[in-house]
Amino acid sequence: MAEKKDAILFKVGDRVKIRYYRGGPGRIVELRGPLAPGGKMVYRVLVRRKPRPVYNELTDEFLELIPADS
Amino acid sequence: MPSTSLLRWQTDRMPRLAEVEAQCAASLVLVPPQPNLVEENLRGNVLLLSAHYQGFCRDLYTECAQIVVSKVRPALRLLILEQFIAHRRLDHGNPNLQNLKADYERFGFTLDLPAADPLNPARLTNLDLLNKWRNVAAHHGTIPAGIPLSLPALQGWRNSCDGLSTSLDAIMYNELRQILKRAPWVP
Repeated sequence: MAEKKDAILFKVGDRVKIRYYRGGPGRIVELRGPLAPGGKMVYRVLVRRKPRPVYNELTDEFLELIPADS
Repeated sequence: MPSTSLLRWQTDRMPRLAEVEAQCAASLVLVPPQPNLVEENLRGNVLLLSAHYQGFCRDLYTECAQIVVSKVRPALRLLILEQFIAHRRLDHGNPNLQNLKADYERFGFTLDLPAADPLNPARLTNLDLLNKWRNVAAHHGTIPAGIPLSLPALQGWRNSCDGLSTSLDAIMYNELRQILKRAPWVP
């Protein structure tokens, strides 16, 4: 069965690796809804960075789940 | 079809607000009257209306940013999205005209909501009253003089938010169509 475009692949609290980003991992802090083209789900991601943390709003193509035990 | 954000405003946020208004209306006709309950219901309704309108404005901003960055290569998308999101006023501030202009003008145009629709100046006045009462309700502040909080006033403010939502959606549709040389969503 084809995957739905607005499928929720991550949940709030998940740690994720961000593709094309050289810094550390991020954490999903909000599911923003199917706001990307094609109805793709957008995730708000918090990234710890000096001097202050930053947010980004990304689709799943940028995100890779970091297993909880790693 | 409007944007996904406006569709959500019309099919999810507005019906939710109407349900809370119905609850306010029911509390107004209780026997014996319960004025404290009525006031608390009205104050709660103000907060919800402001929050939902802020949510719509933030959703539409995100949707537009996602559409713009979808036209560049993935490695650049990450960088541009971060710039769009950084210090976004609508993440923390009230959905007032100043914050809307500060955020939406990042798309490279002057946001002129009053000129977009003859009804918008009156709607923006209502939005200002809504935000004043939102701050009073959220911080238990001093009640503003001359601005009574009533169910008809709240319904007027909701209708104004509805009109402004449609107007902002149309403005962004036209601006993005010029930037992208194609329709950002099916109108």
